[in-house]
Amino acid sequence: METNWASEHLQVIRTLMERSALYRRALAPIMIVSGAIGIAAAIVPCFVPIDSDRAFSMFWLGVSVVTMVTALLLVRRQALKDAEPFWSLPTRRVVEALLPAFFVGFVAAAACVVISGSSTGWLLAVAWIIAYGCALHAAAFFVQRGIKLFGWVFIGGGSILLLIGVVSPQLATIEVAHYLMGVFFGVLHLGYGIYLYFTEKRKHTA
Amino acid sequence: MNPEPFLLLDRVIHEKGRLGIMSLLAAAPQLSFTEMRDTLGMTDGNITAHVRTLQEAGYISVTKAFQGGRPLTTYAITPAGQKAFASYINLLEQIVQQTKQK
Repeated sequence: METNWASEHLQVIRTLMERSALYRRALAPIMIVSGAIGIAAAIVPCFVPIDSDRAFSMFWLGVSVVTMVTALLLVRRQALKDAEPFWSLPTRRVVEALLPAFFVGFVAAAACVVISGSSTGWLLAVAWIIAYGCALHAAAFFVQRGIKLFGWVFIGGGSILLLIGVVSPQLATIEVAHYLMGVFFGVLHLGYGIYLYFTEKRKHTA
Repeated sequence: MNPEPFLLLDRVIHEKGRLGIMSLLAAAPQLSFTEMRDTLGMTDGNITAHVRTLQEAGYISVTKAFQGGRPLTTYAITPAGQKAFASYINLLEQIVQQTKQK
């Protein structure tokens, strides 16, 4: 009796269960748009003075809200295009995974707006980078595996910056914080988005 | 080879389309009709027929609601379905083990 079918059945079951548990929305457009917003926002302080810790917190909090709303609108547009529900189960799971770290980031920003002190803007930038890395790492359980590595880049990078700030406090300035935000939330997102755009295209055409 | 595990396989789940539906629902608390159709690449008629069989066996539950003025049908695996699916997997594993021992 041919019994390979049993192994094949188990493989099919495993593949389908994995597929069912994964968030399948294309991330490339979200990453590219988020990166573009991040870079544009990092350029603004070159022309408009945003040099106090409080102004830094409020400015980047506003940018993060704009980016999140834009990302949700992109997800909604994709869902409508594919005639699928926007608030689907995979979307819910990803949002639930992101929420705790985003909440921490929001509370840290609110605290920096209220209690503006020495280097709080710089510390907030580092806290945001680490919290965002944790959020991506949590969401990675429901999306493609590359996101986990991307999250680790933020966690590792943020941790190194935290140590640098302790060792060389003269670097912990608002100006450097703006650059950090531009690099991490702008350049890295844009780069990853472009990478995803080409790899996702390849998968679709394969 | 002991043919017993093969004979015990649940015929409701064993069919390819229904096995696909059960596999998807075993990994997610609930899925919409569209999500299942797109993931499995099956036609609407096929999904409907298999879902009816699974529902009659008591393996899945169907919820009909409205979202944004459009009907939304979602499916979830029942406790009986979970049990039957787990037994099915165990039997498949037994068959694979027997093959390896040969």
